[in-house]
Amino acid sequence: MSTTIAEREVALVDLVDRLLGGGVVVAGDITLAVADVDLVYVQLRALISSVATAQDKGLLPRMGDAL
Amino acid sequence: MIELYAITDNPGPPLPELAPELRLVPFDGLAAVCTPASKAEVSPQTLWHHEEVVEALMADRDLLPVRYGTRLDDEAEVARAMEGRSEELAAALDRVRGAVELSVRVMAAAATPSPPDPVATTSGAEYLRLRAQAEASREDAAGALHEPLAALARESAQGRPRPPELFRAAYLVERGAVDSFVAEVGRLQGESPGLAVLCTGPWPPYSFADR
Repeated sequence: MSTTIAEREVALVDLVDRLLGGGVVVAGDITLAVADVDLVYVQLRALISSVATAQDKGLLPRMGDAL
Repeated sequence: MIELYAITDNPGPPLPELAPELRLVPFDGLAAVCTPASKAEVSPQTLWHHEEVVEALMADRDLLPVRYGTRLDDEAEVARAMEGRSEELAAALDRVRGAVELSVRVMAAAATPSPPDPVATTSGAEYLRLRAQAEASREDAAGALHEPLAALARESAQGRPRPPELFRAAYLVERGAVDSFVAEVGRLQGESPGLAVLCTGPWPPYSFADR
């Protein structure tokens, strides 16, 4: 796993925790229920891990700053 | 549908041009920053895009980030949702004014003294006891990082670590003290070769706007 991917993964974990678990709650439709947060977290981790694995195997071009 | 990003003072500096359709819904000396809701599925890209907008706003104003994915029908509904909340939200905004959030998570470093050698221990129970002891001492070492960091922060909030984390906390740090906080993280990391200290930020104060 490259350092860049590892760093992005570290930051993504912090990002997901903050966006989905913090912030002011306003009445309205929240697209994700709190109960979904763990699920999203797991899905995103799986996604990032599979991207990293694919890159290690040379299956994907390096991602830019998209992540 | 419109999507909420943050609550800020009103009036404030002009909105950044990064997201062209940003607009303000004013209420009682504050304003909600919104855009038309995106139809995209949640992905790392949509989360990073949202964060980018909030960070651009944070660059030149204080704000309360709104929980991701908050959508309302129209501006009138936003104004209705804010009715009666301006005092509480103004107090919440004052709490984070001039500060940003830093995240610290601590794990065992990749090459750490690992569990005791089962062959060298006398019994299964002894092995388990030693292993629990090693784990507890790592947790203590991780927890000991908190006090010197909290001393540099206005507020802190410890969270439940997610395995394999040993410790996690968010720190509300004055904008001008971010560099010294990061330097302290570096110093603590240098003193703790058995631990990996992961520090990210500055983030909008998500962990101190949870209400």
